Amino acid sequence: MAQTNALNWFLHRITGTFLIFMLITHFWVQHYDHQAASVTHEVVTEKNEMPDYPDEAKEGVRARLGPDAAATPYQVVMQRLADPVYAVLWKGFNILFLVVALHHGFYGLNNVMTDYIRAPMGRLIARTLSWTVALGLLIIGMYSVITAGW
Amino acid sequence: MAVDTKERPSAPQQTDASAEQEGRFQSYRIRTGMFAWMMHRLTGVGLVVYLIVHIWGLTALTDPETFNALIAKYHSPIFKVGEFALLVAVAYHAMNGLRLVLIDFLGWSPKQKKLFWTLGGVTAVIIAVGGWPSIYALGEWLLGPGSMPTLFL
Ligand code: HEM
Ligand code: HEM
Repeated sequence: MAQTNALNWFLHRITGTFLIFMLITHFWVQHYDHQAASVTHEVVTEKNEMPDYPDEAKEGVRARLGPDAAATPYQVVMQRLADPVYAVLWKGFNILFLVVALHHGFYGLNNVMTDYIRAPMGRLIARTLSWTVALGLLIIGMYSVITAGW
Repeated sequence: MAVDTKERPSAPQQTDASAEQEGRFQSYRIRTGMFAWMMHRLTGVGLVVYLIVHIWGLTALTDPETFNALIAKYHSPIFKVGEFALLVAVAYHAMNGLRLVLIDFLGWSPKQKKLFWTLGGVTAVIIAVGGWPSIYALGEWLLGPGSMPTLFL
């Protein structure tokens, strides 16, 4: 197993530890942040209706985008991703999160596959395919988060 | 991928084919338990699948209409259940992962039992506090508005 060397093993533990902090932040932002409001509001809607956001969120969106702006999920996220100052920070955070999560996830996936796929050729194919997918996701993810709101 | 540490020395070198046969379920078998390890693997792979879908879905960020439609779907009852399941998977994988890291890096193996239960408790708290928004939303929907305590929301 050429791939499972000590450095990668070590890195996997480091990325895992990093992910704890990043996931806590991510979860807070997406679910708990009432100041700016989170995209997932704690309400169930049916027939794909949009959620009604709390007043703080409505005010925040109006303050940023004018008195007629409606608090839609997109605008709620744009409070972070289109902000002249904080956007750089948040885009940076998202990209770092993306890189770390992809590395940890796909390295882990390769470990699992190496355990079940016995043939060297099969392993090579699985590894090549999975890292290609990871690279594709990295490009797509960076594109969406960088261009969002700009 | 079996990792050798002081606490988990590698199996004596075997060169015959039977060792290869057994290798499949080797890592962390005895010390931390087969079940904990299998759940770690299962949640890990599940999270990778979620991550792929998630990043793919987030291309919606480039268009307001599409993004609104996506997030509207996030509020359907079934997604609220999925959201909770996702949290359970993340919390378990994260805390079990942290346990492995602590054991590997700090050699905390004499305290393994205590560590196991402490982190088990932390996991329960994470699931309760983090899962409350989903449970609250589902409860309000099922039992009617005002029927759930807001608590810290
Ligand atoms: C939240 C913090 C996380 C921590 C502390 C963490 C920790 C770990 C550790 C220590 C391992 C190695 C286990 C071993 O060698 O047996 C591991 C494996 C793995 N992790 Fe994570 N992880 C985290 C998040 C994630 C996320 C977000 C994903 C998915 C994107 C993920 C996917 C995986 C996979 C697929 C494996 C391989 C499982 C195996 O080999 O059995 N992890 N994790
Ligand atoms: C139900 C729970 C979740 C919700 C509602 C959610 C929502 C979002 C949203 C709206 C974004 C857009 C960027 C932003 O708002 O700043 C985002 C980005 C991201 N999320 Fe999540 N997320 C959830 C769970 C997760 C989990 C469990 C992971 C890790 C496996 C994850 C990994 C990421 C990554 C890596 C990005 C950055 C993507 C990019 O740069 O294109 N998310 N998430």
